[in-house]
Amino acid sequence: MSTETNQNNNPDEDFLVVENLTTTFNTARGPLPAVGGVSFRLGHNETLGVVGESGSGKTVLSRTIMGLQPRTNVEVGGSVRFDGHEIVGATEAELREIWGTKVAMIFQDPMTSLNPVTKIGKQIGESLHVRLGMSKDEAKARAIELLTLVGIPSPEERYEAYPTQLSGGMRQRVMIAIALACNPSLLLADEPTTGLDVTIQAQILNLLDELQMKLQMSVILVTHDLGVVATRTDRIIVMYAGRVVEMGRTKDVFKDHRMPYTRALLESTPRVSNPSHTRLKTIPGRPPNLLKLAEGCAFAPRCSRATEKCSQERPNLEPTGTDGHYFACWNPLDNQSAPVSSSTGSTKEFGEDNVRS
Amino acid sequence: MTNTETPMIPNEIVVEHPEKREPIGLFTWICVGWLAINLGVALLTPFLPIANPKEMISMPSMGMSLDHLMGTDSLGRDLFARVAWGSRISLGVGLGAMAIGFGIGGPLGMLAAFRRGKLDVALSSVMFTLLAFPSIIAIISILSMWWPRSLAKIILVVGISSVPLVYRVIRAATLSAGSKEYITAARVLGAKDRRIVFRELLPNVAPTGLSFLLFGVATVIALEGVLAFLGLSIDPNTAPSWGNLINDARQSLNDTPQNWPLIIFPSAILCLFILALNFVGDRLRSYFDVTEVKL
Repeated sequence: MSTETNQNNNPDEDFLVVENLTTTFNTARGPLPAVGGVSFRLGHNETLGVVGESGSGKTVLSRTIMGLQPRTNVEVGGSVRFDGHEIVGATEAELREIWGTKVAMIFQDPMTSLNPVTKIGKQIGESLHVRLGMSKDEAKARAIELLTLVGIPSPEERYEAYPTQLSGGMRQRVMIAIALACNPSLLLADEPTTGLDVTIQAQILNLLDELQMKLQMSVILVTHDLGVVATRTDRIIVMYAGRVVEMGRTKDVFKDHRMPYTRALLESTPRVSNPSHTRLKTIPGRPPNLLKLAEGCAFAPRCSRATEKCSQERPNLEPTGTDGHYFACWNPLDNQSAPVSSSTGSTKEFGEDNVRS
Repeated sequence: MTNTETPMIPNEIVVEHPEKREPIGLFTWICVGWLAINLGVALLTPFLPIANPKEMISMPSMGMSLDHLMGTDSLGRDLFARVAWGSRISLGVGLGAMAIGFGIGGPLGMLAAFRRGKLDVALSSVMFTLLAFPSIIAIISILSMWWPRSLAKIILVVGISSVPLVYRVIRAATLSAGSKEYITAARVLGAKDRRIVFRELLPNVAPTGLSFLLFGVATVIALEGVLAFLGLSIDPNTAPSWGNLINDARQSLNDTPQNWPLIIFPSAILCLFILALNFVGDRLRSYFDVTEVKL
């Protein structure tokens, strides 16, 4: 699959509509806007990458889209419409209707996201039995099918295994099988490969990719690793301090990024094509304290292009002219005047062996 | 993507993680055997060929013999029979009190940890206030005022006094299990609260609860010994507990110091029983401890 064909196949972008979504935690030291007004649309069978540093609000964003907030001390505003359901403000009983069967989630840490005292086969079969009303035998057969689907060898034997008996990669495969058990049409993967070896990471991501194609799902892939989203997403959202600072088709964001923060993220990703002992660029400073957000652009204190205006007025998302490509910056990078260094602009630089055709 | 139909062949090397739990070990099995013998004797005493513990069947203060395995006490009663019957009282107090403690403290602890919020604050403040009060003093004062004493009253008082302790342990275990990602994972698969509590939380809290139960039984049996020693347990003339026997022996040891089995046997059996409970409880805890360190 190439990004273009997928985009063309799915003109409808109203499968998931997120509008001005805010998640504010009421902490003892004041309100903390973890997500500060995020809007985007996601179509059928589309893969969206959400990229940002630690603390940029990407995990809170994905959990808010699921309707998974702590029960107290949090305020959610805006709207998340998913396939005709409004998530914001829905009761847990209403959410339970769509959880699992329509929208599912894969968690960051496969070590803690499986129940250690239950056999993995039973963990997969449980939702089939409870949600879809399958008999125990049917659920078992389907669970073994799912284990095969996610590439677990000798699934009949693994059905009886406990999570501790599996490696991290295997567990994440089981996690995926559990998430996919009831055929959800939207899958949220929150840093699904963070705890895994690099080689296993690629396998899990390729598996997600194949399954997305096979099962016709929309996927939201949350990650801090640009290499992960480069070849596996149709569109990207770059988040900083709880806000979207740039969004667009993956190709456009990589080749024609306007926001200095996106450039900084790209430059701080190690690349195979660099000569050895190349010093990796880092972003100076730290992510801002969300409790004390300044008036202007949140990235301004760390930005080399910052001007007076940046610290006084917050830039809004502006279109670049390319379809669906937006950025929020007063002093955007211009492709003509500031040519992208040879190693920055191509998605192929990120794991060339993983590029699909 | 053209090769959607080709089956996926995992090219990752499959690492088998064999069962890494250490075997239970001979020592623990010996402890379990000792507990089983005691429990068996306690349950089956009326059906076993054991002498009447209240009948003066022989000469007083006789040494150990085949007829009287542990000798006789200062009134000529068979000590073995008295220890065997005593195990019914001691184990009954231990298990009965813990049944009350876990029956009330367990569900409350899980409820507080699962619901959190105001309910947790309310329950925990009551429980932790009770916990701050020295329970042994409360038990002694209540029992010394509440006549006539009976087995049921002792079980009730000791059991209720253990509720805050059980509550604290179960609440902590539930909190720690509940903060794990698999609980959230179950929720977003659409599991209802009841299912999460019974299928996800309970199996993860149970090992902690079980080992604490064994420690609890051991503590209560020792506590009953203390109460008996203070003369606050049940009337030794109706049914002696292990603690009663030790207290009796202490009094008669002045007159007949040669009759040392009288104090040695009940004390040794009480000690070994409590030790075995603690060892088994500790081993169970480490056996069920599925920490990620082992991976």
